[in-house]
Amino acid sequence: MAAMSPSERRLQKELMSLMKEPPPGVTVDGDQASQNLTLWTVHMEGVPGTLYEGEKFVLQFKFTNKYPFDSPEVTFIGNNIPIHPHVYSNGHICLSILTDDWSPALSVQSVCLSIVSMLSSCKEKKRPPDNSFYVKTCNKNPKKTKWWYHDDSV
Amino acid sequence: MAETSEARASASAPGGDAGGEDDKHDERMLECNICLDTARDAVVSMCGHLFCWPCLHQWLETRPSRQVCPVCKAAISRDKVIPLYGRGNTKQEDPRNKVPPRPAGQRTEPENTSGFPGFGFGEGFHMSFGIGAFPFGVFTSTFNFGDPRPSAAPRGTAQYDEEQFLSKIFLWVAILFVLWLIFA
Ligand SMILES: [Zn+2]
Ligand SMILES: [Zn+2]
Repeated sequence: MAAMSPSERRLQKELMSLMKEPPPGVTVDGDQASQNLTLWTVHMEGVPGTLYEGEKFVLQFKFTNKYPFDSPEVTFIGNNIPIHPHVYSNGHICLSILTDDWSPALSVQSVCLSIVSMLSSCKEKKRPPDNSFYVKTCNKNPKKTKWWYHDDSV
Repeated sequence: MAETSEARASASAPGGDAGGEDDKHDERMLECNICLDTARDAVVSMCGHLFCWPCLHQWLETRPSRQVCPVCKAAISRDKVIPLYGRGNTKQEDPRNKVPPRPAGQRTEPENTSGFPGFGFGEGFHMSFGIGAFPFGVFTSTFNFGDPRPSAAPRGTAQYDEEQFLSKIFLWVAILFVLWLIFA
C-alpha cells in the first residue's frame, strides 16, 4: 500500500473502529469514506425517548491534511436538518468542540456522541434565534464563523 | 480467515474471549492519544496522558498560547512532560531533543559558536565590540558587568570566572582603542 500521511493513517484507524463498533444510532458510509478519506458521510438516528425519536439525519465530515490537529468541518446535510436551537437551517452546528474546544484526542466518534447528546438533551424544537440572518450572511464553511457559544445545557 | 476466527470465537468459552479483549485493551493503553498508533518517542504528561513526542509537539505548536492536554485539558508544556524509556530503547535519548527545531524566537542553549574565531569565550559578550557600533559596545560591556545575560555561565563556576576575566580584558582593550582614536 502507498505510504499514508499521518492524517490518512489516523482517519483509516478511526474508520475501521467506527465500522466495527459504531455507537448506537450512528453509521458511517464506509465505502464512500474509504474511497475518499477526507470526506465522510455519517447517518444518525434520533434517540428513542427524545424529541428526535424516529428521525434520520445525515452528517458530513470534511478533514484537512492537518487533521487531527485541525478540527473537522461538520455539518448536517440532506433534507432533514434537525430543528434545534444550535443547528442552523443550512446545517451549520454551533458546538464548541468543533472549533475553539477541539482537541486532537477527539475523534469522529466523540463528535458524533456529542451531537447525539446535544440533540437528546433538547427540550424544545426550535431554530436558533438568529437563524435567518446567519444563514444569509455566513461563510459556507462553519469553521469560518466566529461562534458565540450558547449555553451548552440546552 | 474470517470464517476460522468466527468459528473459534463461537467455539471458545466466554472466558477465553475475555482474555482476547484484555490483550487488545493492554495494547490500546500504550497508544498515543493523538495518532492512535503505538506511541513512539513516548512522553507522558503530568496528568498521566501518553503521547508520541512529535505528536504532542505539533499540538503545542498548533496553539502556542493555549497549551492544554488534548485528553483532559490540564495545563501542559514542553518542560512538564516526562520521556518514557522502554527496555528495548538502547539510546535513551530524550525525545524532546530530536524533534524538528522550534520556530524562531525560541532561544537555544548556549554553545561555543563564538562570533570571534580564535577567542573561544562564551556568548555573553560577543558582538558588543563590533566596530560599527563601537561606542555602544563599550557601554554595553560595561553595563553587562554586574548583570550577565541569561546565556552566561552561572556565577561561581570556572566558566563564569573566565568570562568575567575575558570581559575585563575586552573592556581594557576597548578603552585603549578609544584613547588611541582620540590621541592618534
Ligand atoms: Zn502519536
Ligand atoms: Zn491529561
